Amino acid sequence: MKEKNLSYREKRMKGSDNDTAVEVKSVSKRYRIYHEKVPSLKQTILTLRRTTYEEFSALRDISFSVKHGETCGIIGPNGSGKSTLLKLMARIIRPTSGKIIINGPLSALLELGAGFHPDLTGRENIYINAAILGMRKKDVDRKLDDIIEFSELERFIDTPVKNYSSGMYMRLGFSVAVNVNPDILLIDEVLAVGDQSFQSKCYKVIYDFMKNGKTIIIVSHDLDTISDLCSKVIFLKDGEIIDMGKPLDMVSKYRAYVEELEKKRIIQQQRAERKKIFKTVIDSNRKVVDGEEISRLSNLSIDGETISRFGSGDAEIVSMGLFEKSGRKIDYCRYGDEVKLTYNVLFKNKVEEPVFGIRITDYRGNIIYGTNTRLKKIGTGTFNKGDETAVIFSFKINLVGGEYSVSPAVGYNDNKTYCDWVNDMFTINVIHRNIAEGLADLDPEISIER
Amino acid sequence: MFSGIKTLFSYRELLFSLTKKELKVKYRGSALGFFWSLLNPILTMLVYSFVFSIVLRAGIEQFAIFLICALLPFNFLSNSVNYGAGSIIGNSNLVNKIYFPREILPLSIVLANLINFFFEIAALFIVIGIMGYKFYIYLYLLPVVIFFQFFLVVGMTLLVSALNVFFRDLQHLITIVMMVWFFGTPIIYPLSMVPPEYQFFIKLNPMTVYSAYYRNIFYYVKYPEGAGFPSLVETLITLGITFIIFFVGYFVFKKLEYRFAEEI
Repeated sequence: MKEKNLSYREKRMKGSDNDTAVEVKSVSKRYRIYHEKVPSLKQTILTLRRTTYEEFSALRDISFSVKHGETCGIIGPNGSGKSTLLKLMARIIRPTSGKIIINGPLSALLELGAGFHPDLTGRENIYINAAILGMRKKDVDRKLDDIIEFSELERFIDTPVKNYSSGMYMRLGFSVAVNVNPDILLIDEVLAVGDQSFQSKCYKVIYDFMKNGKTIIIVSHDLDTISDLCSKVIFLKDGEIIDMGKPLDMVSKYRAYVEELEKKRIIQQQRAERKKIFKTVIDSNRKVVDGEEISRLSNLSIDGETISRFGSGDAEIVSMGLFEKSGRKIDYCRYGDEVKLTYNVLFKNKVEEPVFGIRITDYRGNIIYGTNTRLKKIGTGTFNKGDETAVIFSFKINLVGGEYSVSPAVGYNDNKTYCDWVNDMFTINVIHRNIAEGLADLDPEISIER
Repeated sequence: MFSGIKTLFSYRELLFSLTKKELKVKYRGSALGFFWSLLNPILTMLVYSFVFSIVLRAGIEQFAIFLICALLPFNFLSNSVNYGAGSIIGNSNLVNKIYFPREILPLSIVLANLINFFFEIAALFIVIGIMGYKFYIYLYLLPVVIFFQFFLVVGMTLLVSALNVFFRDLQHLITIVMMVWFFGTPIIYPLSMVPPEYQFFIKLNPMTVYSAYYRNIFYYVKYPEGAGFPSLVETLITLGITFIIFFVGYFVFKKLEYRFAEEI
């Protein structure tokens, strides 16, 4: 084993063509998904062919290579084909097309303790498991004490493994696996083994592997581990390589992707909830909107599944805009800018002392701020049919970067019913300047005392 | 095929350790351990002896010995095939997670049964030795017969274990097929009892010829024509069929092996 290592390292130093440990050349993998589970012999004979199936493309045209001594991480959402890729490299399954070239002895840790027999003792299982992983008996004899010591199972090593806890089981499996000492190691999500102290031991082993110039390919959802360990990361999605490169870049790309997904999910959820609320409103024709009672409803406009507008229609919000202090219309603003948020209202009937208000929400639907003329104790007077008015909210943008939705409303002075309410009528774009994070700007003064 | 044998050779330690595991697991936790494997043929022998020498009075001299010489080799075949059929499916956790030559799984079952077979034969030596049979005269033939029968057993086990992955109801079929095979082989009856018009078919069954050899060595202690059978031609035909089964089993297995992990 050692000699082989040396020879690989020598070759690497010479820069020969054997530089590559693993080369994956335009590999595709399609699975057959049978409509019926496993066809029986009877069916096969009767129909003279297999039951119908669909082809599922798990990987499409994947190409990459990993050099000797590199640690390569593979990240991606569930179902992106990460495990399929590992199985292909481990020769457990064959690619539908394409080629995989492996230079050097390879060992795959796809499952710890695979092939442990519950009735056999820990010691007996070490021998079998090591043999399955391709280790020679004399090597196992030599390393037996190391393996047992590493697993911290000295007291239980002659107990049948069926009496082990799941943690002990995994520890024994990991101890055998790391002692196999291959040149290329494939790891699938198995680092989460045992308690904190055992985990740090495992990491140490992996670092030692790296130091000894071994090639490691690791699949994990733990992005910190990936960016910690790897020198190169592949971002896989829906069976295709989205990107590959430096760990930090890839990890932040993946995080952005996950956040985007989360955002979509939350918006979806928000919509569903709003729909539920408004449905109650429609059903009873006099119920609660966001905890406020409504007695007069008309003019319900439904945008997709979301009810975007409701109210009696005695007044109508016709337009909305964001302006600089000077009055110039703007598309976006920066943190700290002084702005005017304005909406225009056209009255269709006489309304006495209407209440003008706005509500600002973030993309998750969290209410960032909301106010109205009644809360601010501002009298508005009486408006007659045909009157037009502009409602202006002047304030400083104390918002961190992002998109914010504004819902304007005109209410009756009973504070329960509305002339017009428009959901998310307007979007304020605040340009991010890394001022702060979170929802509120507490604007602290920071001092450091020694 | 040669590269296959080479790979297999490099994994020989896995093969041996799985064989050992097979034997260990089988007898772990039972007080009599290995002797249970002797109990099965002994009981079968007693039952058939009672039926054939006392109830039916078939008139076969020393029926117990007559039977057991042919029963043990057949058990080697039927146990290997019956257990081997589930060897790939039953080890789905291994097949799905680790690469190694897949034929090791059925082969380890065959080897474990072969070792069992050896022990049974050793026990047989003791019994027939005490009864005064000169079983040692043609004993040199025994390894040769076992060697060729081994290929038949391996071929059948490989074939069945691979096909079973794709057709699960094969497992149930095998039990029936093995029963038919058992009665289609002159084990509880001598070949001479078979009507001449059926003898041709019975002789095509390779186990008929192997059983005859075992019987010639142990029971009749006559060679080559203990009971006037088998002749050289019959032996050669049997060897031909044996190797056809072996190669068919091997190539079917090799052809299907790449899809095992996807199917189970």
